[in-house]
Amino acid sequence: MNPLLIGWSLYSRWSARYPAVHSIVPFIPIVALWAIVAESGIFPRAFFPGPMDVVFSFGSLMYKGILPDYLEDSIVRLAVGAAVGMTLGIPLGILVGLNSRAHTMLWPILLFFQAIGDIAWLPILLIWFGFSLTTMTIVIVYTVLFPVVLNTALGVRRVPHDLSRAALCLGASRARVIWEVVLPGALPNIMTGLRNGLGYGWRALIATEIIVGTSGIGFLMFDARRAGSVVEIMLGMIVLGILWYIVDGWVLAPIERATGRRWGLVTQ
Amino acid sequence: MKSLSLCNISKTYFDPYAGAHVTAVHDVSLTVRQGEFVSIVGPSGCGKTTLLNMIAGFIPVSAGEILLDGRAVNGPGRERGVVFQSFALFPWKTVLENVAFGPKMCGMAGTECNRIAREYLDLAGLSHAADRYPNELSGGMQQRVGVVRALANNPEVLLMDEPFASVDAQTRMTLQEELTRIWQERKPTVIFITHDVGEAIFLAERVVVLSKGRVLREIDVPLPRPRSWDTLIDDGAFKALSATVLQLVREA
Repeated sequence: MNPLLIGWSLYSRWSARYPAVHSIVPFIPIVALWAIVAESGIFPRAFFPGPMDVVFSFGSLMYKGILPDYLEDSIVRLAVGAAVGMTLGIPLGILVGLNSRAHTMLWPILLFFQAIGDIAWLPILLIWFGFSLTTMTIVIVYTVLFPVVLNTALGVRRVPHDLSRAALCLGASRARVIWEVVLPGALPNIMTGLRNGLGYGWRALIATEIIVGTSGIGFLMFDARRAGSVVEIMLGMIVLGILWYIVDGWVLAPIERATGRRWGLVTQ
Repeated sequence: MKSLSLCNISKTYFDPYAGAHVTAVHDVSLTVRQGEFVSIVGPSGCGKTTLLNMIAGFIPVSAGEILLDGRAVNGPGRERGVVFQSFALFPWKTVLENVAFGPKMCGMAGTECNRIAREYLDLAGLSHAADRYPNELSGGMQQRVGVVRALANNPEVLLMDEPFASVDAQTRMTLQEELTRIWQERKPTVIFITHDVGEAIFLAERVVVLSKGRVLREIDVPLPRPRSWDTLIDDGAFKALSATVLQLVREA
């Protein structure tokens, strides 16, 4: 038998037993290539540090307590922004999805303001609120809000009419129909909106921290540029990637598996 | 005596493309007694689903009145249970939760809702599937759930809109036999919409033929019960009735 196939089947069995293998193994060649280029000495070390330099830098920043602090700041900002964005976005999306008059009136406005991207608001926000937490929060809420509203509205409109009718003739009030039928029916789309919103929000947060920054991962990277520390910039980039991996794998994917797929609303 | 009366009801739509009013249901009058099983049969486009949607309260009547026990029907309500062609089960609720939904909406306690739901699942031979989700069931089983979900709410009238049109032929015959059995046990008032003449006669006490939005003819079905396809398929009276109704539907 082809040794490649044997290797592959071993890998499949292994990664089925230890799911972490799935997330780590694909990166081994990339890191190896990176290490080879760095070790070969084509570029000066300070200009192109290797993986181990980044690991040491990680250790030192963790030890000094800078990285944990900055990480916490970034995550809290994103979490608060996402929470506010969802609290505003889901009800607004349901209104736009259910009420055709609200849809007619609000849809063009939503499209218009969605087009003014998050950081396009920064110049005016900086004048109004200065280099403050308010500015950052507004940008994140703004970024999270639109994908959630638009996807929720889409999801609400896709809930089959017969389901609402069935609930009504089983004695449900209009409010109960929203809670029992419209919300769960729209949930797969709401999750898509949340996933997009968090993704955009994360990027907006980093961009905002670079500009507004007093702390956070974005600030760490921009501050490192000022000091000419390539290794810390690389560290920041890697932290961004890993964090998203964790949010996706530990928070979003399990919710999607537990809901839409079990119900047959989403195909595998 | 409780009864459902349709008094000269009509439904007119404005068709924006044709730029004219279209009459889907025209001056229909019909009385259904308590415990009666009435089939409404007709070709597609004869207005039978529109008629049922008006009785269910999903769409308003343009003229006339629908009376249930002398009270005018206005909007959907729990005294009129509906079984849909699309099944319309809630995909995010288990079979048990689906059937318990009606009692729950009426404010009953959780344990009581579940007791009622289990009783009705028993009636349809579905007890083993109580904790499954609808998409894990076959079409025939899904519609059994649809029927008992409507029955579990103890409606005064059961409205069925081509409920067996989307299951395979064998399952359809089984479902029809089960429905006659349940009807004989519980005697709910049923209005059954179908385009299938055999199905209409097999199930009903009375068949109403609808054509172009009007009642063409009402025909009583004096066939003995219990009914099963094994005996009726070669029954002379059944064949004669089928021929009469089929003739009416084809001319309609």
